Amino acid sequence: MPGIRLGFTARRRLFLVMIGLPAVLYMVLVAFWPLSQGLAYSFTDYTLTRPGPVNWVGLENYADMFADPAAQRAIVNTFVFTLAAVGLQLLAGLGLALLLWPDSRFNRICLALMLIPITVTPLAVGLIFRAMLEPDFGILGYWARVWGLSPARGYLADENLALATLIVIDVWEWTPLVALILLAGLKSLPTDVLEAAEVDGASRFQRFHRIILPMLLPAIFLALVMRSMDAFKIYDSVFVTTGGGPDNATNVLMFHAAKIGLEFFQIGAASAISTFMLACVGLLSVSFVLMIRHAERRLGSR
Amino acid sequence: MQTSRRGALALSALSALAAGGASAQTGPAMTLTMACMNDPFATVLARLAPSYAERTGVRVNVDILSYPELLSRVTADFVGRTRNYDLCTMDIVWAGQFAEAGHTIELSPLMQRDAAEIAVDDIYQAALLGIGNFRGRQIAFPFAAYVNVLAFRRDLFERAGLQPPQTMADLVTAAQRLTDAPNNIYGWAANGRRGAPVAQDWMTYNAQIGGSILGPDGRPAINSATNARSLTVYRDLFRMAAPPGAVNYDWAARHEAFRQGIVAQHQIWTISIPSYENPEISRIVGRTGIILAPTAEGMPKRYGIGGWGLGINAAIDERRREAAWGFIKWAASAEVQRRFLDANVGVFTRRSVVNDPALRARFPFFSVVDESLANGDADFRPRIPQYPQIQDLLGTAVNAVLVGTADPQRALDDAQARAARLF
Repeated sequence: MPGIRLGFTARRRLFLVMIGLPAVLYMVLVAFWPLSQGLAYSFTDYTLTRPGPVNWVGLENYADMFADPAAQRAIVNTFVFTLAAVGLQLLAGLGLALLLWPDSRFNRICLALMLIPITVTPLAVGLIFRAMLEPDFGILGYWARVWGLSPARGYLADENLALATLIVIDVWEWTPLVALILLAGLKSLPTDVLEAAEVDGASRFQRFHRIILPMLLPAIFLALVMRSMDAFKIYDSVFVTTGGGPDNATNVLMFHAAKIGLEFFQIGAASAISTFMLACVGLLSVSFVLMIRHAERRLGSR
Repeated sequence: MQTSRRGALALSALSALAAGGASAQTGPAMTLTMACMNDPFATVLARLAPSYAERTGVRVNVDILSYPELLSRVTADFVGRTRNYDLCTMDIVWAGQFAEAGHTIELSPLMQRDAAEIAVDDIYQAALLGIGNFRGRQIAFPFAAYVNVLAFRRDLFERAGLQPPQTMADLVTAAQRLTDAPNNIYGWAANGRRGAPVAQDWMTYNAQIGGSILGPDGRPAINSATNARSLTVYRDLFRMAAPPGAVNYDWAARHEAFRQGIVAQHQIWTISIPSYENPEISRIVGRTGIILAPTAEGMPKRYGIGGWGLGINAAIDERRREAAWGFIKWAASAEVQRRFLDANVGVFTRRSVVNDPALRARFPFFSVVDESLANGDADFRPRIPQYPQIQDLLGTAVNAVLVGTADPQRALDDAQARAARLF
C-alpha cells in the first residue's frame, strides 16, 4: 500500500493476522454461519413445503417443544440413554483396556477382534439386533420368549425394556472404541512411575487408584466427550429397531427433530430442537470438563 | 478469442452430429436424472432405461433411494431449485404437499396433447385420479398402482375347514380360529410399529370397516365412534390372533412372518406377492391364495390402492421437461409394464395388461387386481398437505393403544385435538 509505512510490530501483527485469517474464515463459513442460520430459523415458522413469507415467531417453537409430551419424553430418553450408555461403556471399556494392557500375542488378537463392532455402520447394527431379537422368528428373541426370558412382545416392543435394549446395543457397538482410547492412554503412561510405585510396595488397587487413574484422566475425558456427543445424537438404531416406540418409550431428540425437519419440513421447529440439542451437548461437555478437573485436583492432592 | 470459441462450438456441433448419425437417434442427446423409490420396480426400471436411450438419445440415470431419503432429497432439490433431479417417483400420499408447494409441473396439457399416444382410456380411473391428481391438477403421471389384497394360507384354511374371508367379520372369526399359539401359528398379522407402519395399516382396515380419517367437510374426524370401534377391534385382534411381536412389525417384518409360515392371513400390497413364491426366502411356496380385501357386510365395494406417480421438476427448462415427459410416456406404457412383469414386478395401471389372457393365465390374481382397481379407493389415507402430521399422530396413538398405554377412544380424542390444530 503506497503512502502507508508500517513499523516492525505492526507488520508482524498483520502477518500473524493474515496467517490466522484462512482458519478463521473457514470456521465462520463452515461452523458459525450454518449454526447462526439454524439459530435464526428457530425463531421463525419457516416451512419448506409452504410457499409464502417466513414469519418471526419469537420463542414459540421452543415453547411448543417443551409443551409437547412426545418432545418431553424425547428429552428425558436422550439424557437417560446418553448417561447410561456412556457410563457403561466407560466402565466396561476401562476393564477391557486394563485386561489388554500387557503386550502379548493373545491380547493383540483380542484387540483386533474386538474392533469389529466399530466397523459396522450403526444402521446395520440396528437391523442385525432387530432381526436377532424378533420374538416370533428371531434367533435369540424366539428362544428368549419361549423360555420366559423376555416379555411376550420381545425386548424392543416392551415399554420398560426398549430403551434399555437400545442402550445394550450401543454399549455392544462402542465399548471397544472406548477401550481403544483408554488402552492408548494406558500404553503412554510413564513406566518408571509405575515401576517405582511397585518397588515402593504399593498394592494393585493403590497403583490403580493413585497412579494410573489420575494419569489416565485426559484419555477418559476424551472418551467421555466423544462418546456422549455421539450418543446424544442417536438416530440410526432407533430408526430401524423401534421407530421411537412403543408409544414414546424410545423417542429421542434427534429422531424427533429429523421427523419434524425431514418429514414435516418444518425447518423452524426442527431448528429449535437442534439448537436445544446443541446447548445440551455443550452443557454436557462443560460439566465433563469440570468433573475431570475436580477429579484431577482430588486425586492429585493425595 | 471470439474465433476460437466459434471453432469450439462448430466442433462440438459436428461431434454431436456424428454421434447422432452413428447411433441413429431420433431425439436430442440429453441426460436426465430420476429420483426413484427403492421398490421392486426400481432396479427393473434402471435396467430398462438404457434401451430407451438407444432409441431416443435421452439417457436417464435412475438414482435409487430409500423412502425417507427420497422424500428429503427431492424436497430439498425442488424447494432450493437446484435441479439435481429432472423427475421423481411421487408417493400417492405426497400429492397434497407437492401440489401446495408447486414442486412438479401440471401434466394435464401434455396429457391432452398426447392423449392418443398414452392411451388415457387404458388407465384405470382410480389410478389416474388417485395417483398424482390433486383437486383437478395432475401433478404426477400414474406409474405403479399397488392394490391392497388379502393374502392367505390355503393349506391352513382348508385344514380348518374355513372359507377365505368375504367380510371383515369372517376375517376376525378366521383369525381367532386359526390361531394356535403353542405351535407358533397365528391367525392374522398387521403392522404395529410406531409411525407410518401402524398408521397406514390401521387406516386400511379402518376404511374397510367404514371408518374415515376425514369427515365429509374435509376436516379431521379421527375420534368418530366408528373409528374408535374399529380401533378396539384392531387392538383385540392384535391381542388374540397376531404374533406377539407384531406390535413392532413393519412391512418387512410382517412379510417375513408370513414367509416363515407363522401367519395365516394378512393384507398386503400386490407388489410383495412374488416374494412368497421364491423358495430361497419363503417356506410357503405354492400355499398362498390372493383374494379381494374383505369389507364390512353391506358396505359398498371399496378397495385401498396406493402406489407411485412420476412427476417432473417444475424448476427445469422447457427442453428438459419435454424430454422427461417423453420418458414418462414410455415408462408408464403398457409395453414397459409387460416387461416389468417379465421380471415378476407388477405395476398395474393399465387395463390392457391386467386383462391380457396370456398374463391372466400366468398370474391368476390379476382378476383380483382388476376388480380392486375398478373399485379403487385412493383416499383411505387422506392425500392432503397435512398428511405427514396426521400419519404421525395416528402412528403414535394407535401404537399406544396396541401396547396398552392408552385406551382407543382417549387416544383418538387426543389425536383429533392435535390434528384439528393443523387445519
